[in-house]
Amino acid sequence: MSMKPALEVENLTKKIKRKLIIKGVSFTLYPGEVFGFLGPNGAGKTTTIRMIVGLISPTSGTIKIGGKNVRTEFTEAMKHLGCIVENPELYPYLTGWENLEHFAKMDPSIPTNRLQEVVTLVGLTNRIHDRVSTYSLGMRQRLGIAQALLGKPKVLILDEPTNGLDPAGIREMREFIRQLAREENLSVLVSSHLLSEIQLMCDRVAIISKGAVIRTDSVQNLLAEQERVIWKAEPLSLAKELLQEETEVQEGLDGTLITLYNEPLLPEWNQKLVQAGVKVKEMRTQLPSLEDLFLEVTGGESID
Amino acid sequence: MRKYTLTIVSAVSIAATLLWLFGLGWTFQDQFSSNKKFEQPKEKTESAISKKQDGTLTIFAMGDSLTRGTGDADGKGYTGYLLERLKEKSEQEVNLINTAVKGETSRGLFKQLQQSEIQRQAKQADVIVMTIGGNDLFQQGTTLESLDMNAINSKKQIYLSNVKKIYSQLRDLNKEAVIYHVGLYNPFSNLPDAKTTSSIVRDWNFQTANTAAEFENIVYVPTFDLFQLQVENYLYTDQFHPNKEGYKLMAERVASLINFEQEEKES
Amino acid sequence: MINLVRNEMLKLLRKKRLFVIILIIAFLVPLFTYAQFKEIQDQRKKMGTQDWRTVLQQEITDTQNRLSSSRIQDEWRKYLKIRLSQQQYYLENDIDPRAPGAPTFMRVFVENSIDLLLPLLVMVIVADLVSSEASGGTIKLLLTRPVKRWRILLSKYLAMLLSVSFIVLSVAVLSYAISGLVFGYGGWNMPLLTGFAVSGDELLTDNVHIVPQWQYILMEFGLVWYVCLIVGTLTFMLSVLLRSTAAVMGIMLASLIAGAILINMVSSWESAKYFFMVNLNLTNYISGMATPIEGMSLGFSMSVLAVWGIAGFIIAFVTFSKRDIY
Ligand SMILES: Nc1ncnc2c1ncn2[C@@H]1O[C@H](COP(=O)(O)OP(=O)(O)O)[C@@H](O)[C@H]1O
Ligand SMILES: [Mg+2]
Repeated sequence: MSMKPALEVENLTKKIKRKLIIKGVSFTLYPGEVFGFLGPNGAGKTTTIRMIVGLISPTSGTIKIGGKNVRTEFTEAMKHLGCIVENPELYPYLTGWENLEHFAKMDPSIPTNRLQEVVTLVGLTNRIHDRVSTYSLGMRQRLGIAQALLGKPKVLILDEPTNGLDPAGIREMREFIRQLAREENLSVLVSSHLLSEIQLMCDRVAIISKGAVIRTDSVQNLLAEQERVIWKAEPLSLAKELLQEETEVQEGLDGTLITLYNEPLLPEWNQKLVQAGVKVKEMRTQLPSLEDLFLEVTGGESID
Repeated sequence: MRKYTLTIVSAVSIAATLLWLFGLGWTFQDQFSSNKKFEQPKEKTESAISKKQDGTLTIFAMGDSLTRGTGDADGKGYTGYLLERLKEKSEQEVNLINTAVKGETSRGLFKQLQQSEIQRQAKQADVIVMTIGGNDLFQQGTTLESLDMNAINSKKQIYLSNVKKIYSQLRDLNKEAVIYHVGLYNPFSNLPDAKTTSSIVRDWNFQTANTAAEFENIVYVPTFDLFQLQVENYLYTDQFHPNKEGYKLMAERVASLINFEQEEKES
Repeated sequence: MINLVRNEMLKLLRKKRLFVIILIIAFLVPLFTYAQFKEIQDQRKKMGTQDWRTVLQQEITDTQNRLSSSRIQDEWRKYLKIRLSQQQYYLENDIDPRAPGAPTFMRVFVENSIDLLLPLLVMVIVADLVSSEASGGTIKLLLTRPVKRWRILLSKYLAMLLSVSFIVLSVAVLSYAISGLVFGYGGWNMPLLTGFAVSGDELLTDNVHIVPQWQYILMEFGLVWYVCLIVGTLTFMLSVLLRSTAAVMGIMLASLIAGAILINMVSSWESAKYFFMVNLNLTNYISGMATPIEGMSLGFSMSVLAVWGIAGFIIAFVTFSKRDIY
C-alpha cells in the first residue's frame, strides 16, 4: 500500500509500577481500513489505546496520528482523532445535543451544522434532546460515536464497541463501522476480545497477548492458512485409515473427518477413497474460526 | 429560557467578580495605608436623647458587687428584688439599668462616672441607687487587713473625698432624681473581733451619711441593723456578700423609701 | 477559552449545584434573621429600653464584671478586654455598631459565616469539579480533544472562580433582601469604625477611622470572596488529586472544622498560625477582634492564605497536565 498511514504505532512500551504491561507494540493503519485489535481480557488493548489517544504517556515508543506525534504535537494529532475508550461515558445530566455541543465547542474548527450531520448519521434524531441518563446503552454507544465523529477525524478508535449490546445492536454497529470506513474513508481501530466480531468486521487484525502483538496480517491470509476440508464418508474407520496415509486426520463431532485443505491433492484423495469402496457422501471446505487460529498462534492459551 | 439562564448567571458572576475584586482592593487601600485621619462621623446613628422617657420609672444602679448582686443564687441582687417590688406596687413601667462592676472602689466609680454614656444614663434616671465603699474598706471583700486605725482613717479620707465628688457630679447631672446610697453592714459581726470591726463600719457609715446630708435629695440607707443579728443567715457562703434573703431585706428597705417618695410627688 | 469556561458553567448549572447553594442560603438567612429579631426583642424586654447605648453600656458592665472574676482564662480575658475597649470606643463616638437594618444583618451574617459556612458552600460546588469527571469517566472524552490539558483545567478553575463570586453575591443579595423584610432596608450610610490593631491585650486605636457601612460591607465581602477563593483553590487541588468526591469533601471538611477548633486552642502553639484554616477569619481584622495567635494581622493572614492558594494552584496544574488517566 502506498497511501500515507493514518496511524502509526511504533515500538510502544508502558511500565506501570515497574511492571512492563505493554511490550513493544507496533502497527500501522491505512485510510479506509478497519483494523482489528484482538486479544483476551487483560492483554493490554485498552492500555495501548489510552496511550494512542494521549490519556497516558508511553514509557517509550512513538505514536503518530495523521503524521503528527501525539506527544509533541498533541493538539494537531488530536484534530485527526475520534475515540471511545472503554464505555461511552457522557454527561448524564445533559441532553444528547448538549453533550455534542459541549464537545464541539472545544474545537473551534467544527462548524455548527456538523452537529446535525452526526446526529443524523448515527440515527439519534428522535431522542437527541432527551437527557443522556434516559438513554439505553445502544443509544449511548451511538452518541459516543457521534461525538467521536464531530471533528471529521481520519482515525476512529473504538474500544470494545459491541460490549454489552444485544445481537441486533451488534450487527448494526458492525455494519455502521464498515459503512464509515467505506464512505468516509476513515481508518477504524476496533478492539475486541470476541473473535467472531473481528472476523466479520475487519480487514486486518493484530493479535495481542500479554502486552505484545503476536501477529499482524489480513484476515483473509490468516484464515486461508487454516482452511479445512470436512469429509462425510462410510465406513468412517476405513476412510480414516486411507486418509491417514496421505495427511493428518482429525475426527469431527458428528461423524466427520477433518483434514487440511490442499487443493491439488484433494481429487487424488477422493479417488483413493472411492476406489477402496468408501462412499463419500459429502466433502466441503470450511473456514476456521479465529479461535482455532488463536489457539495455534498463542500455543494453547485460552481466551476468556 | 435554559440558554438564557447560562448567559445571565455567567454575566452576573463576572460582574460579581469585579465587584468583589474592587472590594478587596479597597480593603488593601483602607487597611494598609497608615495615615488615616479620624473624623467625627457627620451622620450619627441617631441623636443622643437625654430626655427622660415619659411614663416609665427608670432606676439607675451603680457601684460594686452588692449592686451587681454577687452572692444571690438567682443573680438578681437587691436591685432585682427592688425592681420586682416596684413593679408590683406601681402602675408605671419600671426600668432598671445596672452598671455596677464587681470590685469597684469609690475611685473606680468616680472614673466610670466620667464616661459619657454613664453620664447620659445618670441624667435620664428617675431614681439612682448605689453601693460603694465596701471595697475601699475591706480588701477585696475578704477581711479587714489590719485593725490599724491610722491606715483605716487615711482610707476613709480618700473614700469620703471620692464619694463627695461622686455626689456632686451626680447632682450636677441630675437635679431631680433621688439618690439612695445603700450603706455598709458588718459581715464579720459574729467573728472574734466583732466589737472593733462593728465600730469601724459604724463610723464609716456615719461619716458617709454626714457627707450625704450635705447634698439635697441624697438618702443614706442604713443596712447595718439588718445584718446585725443572725448575720450568718443572711450571708452567702463566701461569708461576705449577702445571700438571697439578705438582698431581699435590703431591697425591701429601699423599696419602702421609694414608694414613699413617689406618693409624695403625686400629692 | 471562553467556550471552555462556558461549557464548565453549563455543567455546573445543569448539575443544579448553584441552585442548591441558593436554596441553602435562602433557608438559612430567615433562620438567622429570626434569631436576631428574637434577640433584639428579648433585649428590649429585659432592659425596658430601645436605646442601643443603654444596651451596649449594659454589655460593657457585664463584660467588666466577667473580667473581675478571678477564675477567668487568660485567653478569654484578653479577648474580653479588647472587645471591651472597642465597645467603649464605639460608645464614646456615639456609634451603634449593631443598629438593626438589613445592611447590618448582612455584615454580621457574613462575619459569622466567613470561616465555616461559606467555605462549606464553596466546597459543595468545587469538590466534584474535576473528580466527578474522573469518576464518571467523562474525563477521557474531555482530554482527547485538540485542547491542551492545562487549558481545560484553567477553564475549570475560572468556572470555580465565577461560581465563588456568584455564591458570595447570592449571600449578599439574599441576606439583604430577606432580612430587610424584618429590619428594614436602610442603614447603608451608618458610620462604623475600622482600623483597630491589637498588640498584646491592648487595643490600638491610632489608625481607627470611620467608614460608612456600605464601604465596610464592600470591604468585608471582598475579604470573604478572597477566603472563598483560597478555600475553593485548595478544594480544587484536592479534586484534581483525588478521584472520589467524598474523599475531597471529607478532607476539606476535616480541615475546616479542625481550623474552627484549633482557633480556640492554639494560642500557645505559635507555628499553628501558618495553617490556612486558622487564618480564615479575615473580617475580624476589619472589625478589630482579638487574634487567635500573637502576631497575626490582616497582612499576615492574607499572605498565608495566598501562599497556600498559590501552592494548591501549582500542584493542581502540574499533576493534571502530567498525570496518566486510567
Ligand atoms: N492502572 C493500572 N495499574 C496496574 N496495572 C494495570 C493498570 N491498568 C491496567 N493494568 C494491567 O495491564 C494489563 C492490561 O490491561 P488492559 O489494557 O485494560 O487490558 P484489555 O483492555 O486488553 O482487557 C492488565 O493485566 C491490567 O491488570
Ligand atoms: Mg479493555
